[in-house]
Amino acid sequence: MEAKYDFERKYREQILQCSKCGFCQAVCPVYGATLRPSLNARGKMLVLKEVMDGKIELDDELIETLFQCTTCASCFENCPSGVNVPDIIKQVRTDMVHMGSCHPAFTGMHDVLEKHPNIYAEDEPEDFDREHNKKAEYVFFVGCVGLYREDESTEATLELLDRLEVDYTLLDEVCCSGVLEDVGYELNEDLVHKNVDRILATGAKTVITGCPYCARTFNNKPQYKELKQKGVEVLHVSQFLKDFDFGVTTDKVVTYHDPCDLGRHCGIYDEPRETIHKIAPNFVEMRHNRENALCCGAGGGVRGGYPKNSLAMARKRLQEVEEAGAEILLTECNSCVHNLSNAKLRKQRFKVYNTTQFINELMDDAE
Amino acid sequence: MQIEQYNMPDELYYEENHFWVREEGDLLVMGMDDFAQIMAGEIVYIQLPDEGKKLKKGKKFAKVESGKWLGKVYAPVNGELVAVNEELETNPELINDDCYGKGWMYKLKPSDMAELQELIHGPDAVKEWLLVEIEKYAEE
Repeated sequence: MEAKYDFERKYREQILQCSKCGFCQAVCPVYGATLRPSLNARGKMLVLKEVMDGKIELDDELIETLFQCTTCASCFENCPSGVNVPDIIKQVRTDMVHMGSCHPAFTGMHDVLEKHPNIYAEDEPEDFDREHNKKAEYVFFVGCVGLYREDESTEATLELLDRLEVDYTLLDEVCCSGVLEDVGYELNEDLVHKNVDRILATGAKTVITGCPYCARTFNNKPQYKELKQKGVEVLHVSQFLKDFDFGVTTDKVVTYHDPCDLGRHCGIYDEPRETIHKIAPNFVEMRHNRENALCCGAGGGVRGGYPKNSLAMARKRLQEVEEAGAEILLTECNSCVHNLSNAKLRKQRFKVYNTTQFINELMDDAE
Repeated sequence: MQIEQYNMPDELYYEENHFWVREEGDLLVMGMDDFAQIMAGEIVYIQLPDEGKKLKKGKKFAKVESGKWLGKVYAPVNGELVAVNEELETNPELINDDCYGKGWMYKLKPSDMAELQELIHGPDAVKEWLLVEIEKYAEE
């Protein structure tokens, strides 16, 4: 029988490879927040098998099941059968969008990016009182969350770059639009061209991103290949900062949350820790760390589409901060900072920072 | 008073960014008005700063978020934050369900209670203000 959907054509063997062992259930943040077996990777693969067998249709009734996934890749990391669930889910979402079935929040995100330069439909960006689009050695690319939700953290990151005398420029940047592929759409070509043209116009040979997802998009999506072709390297700020010496330390107990986009998706675990070890001798790991880190719950469009569950996932992560006895939780992603800060209860007295913001604060205190 | 589909109680004072204020002894209670909660949709997060935070009239002191909208909360008077509604930490939808009751957000101790009179108050003033706001947001 000829496959009806692209996901079947591309991933049939992988879906059938799922042995239903349930290792994914133990690590799935969506299952952890909802306790619904249909929402973990095994449940999703069972549903897709039923679709491939023609027993159920890929329609609106499956939106709840198939669009509620942070694409954190914990399941893939722990799958003994090697089923690449995030890639399968993205393809299924694409198939559903082609058929007109999509979560309204994600349709909304797509429509917003047709009209506005960022996912929040904001038309007045924070300019951080710094020059934009000038000739410089580096471009600092902030990302939507850093521009419109965690601007204080971004301001601190820029202050740190100023202190380190980095020759950078900001851009009149627009959304990298990578998130659209997570939720069933394609990258927005107009936004891609604007970013590429504006980056190249600065003459910079390195782009430093504040957002791990933007770095992934620039480095991995073919739509941005011109950057590589023109010799422009893209680094996340944690990679850029690892060789600097900051000259400050803290006595506080510090822990680190691996963002999924930096860790499992890019394999960047050591650089953030190298920097933290320089400034925080009292560093402790959380129970789940590196490849096994729990997801904060913000990715894959889940923060926008299922905010209550997203915050519940973040609260599970924050329990591990308490267990570790940390006073400071550092991470390297504005989406993680945003979701974890929003989820933190008032009785939880630790503080949440991007590492850059924390270092900048230490330098402020030292002056 | 009902103005179009929005419930705007007469006895309350309104800050121009759509937060209501009412007297409670020597304190002021503050929350989001019906117009704002309807425009915002499902509220998912309310920043609850520590008690004791100094408030400067017209300055931002907290954030409210719904889906893809981020709102700033501005101090309606000079003073100090003395209490927050901790129920909102885990039940932010109380603002949508009951914005003038269980969805209250903050209690403030004003430096000068007379500043309350500088806010929008009384049926005529509230109606005039809200109709302009409805038109403004309809254009957006």
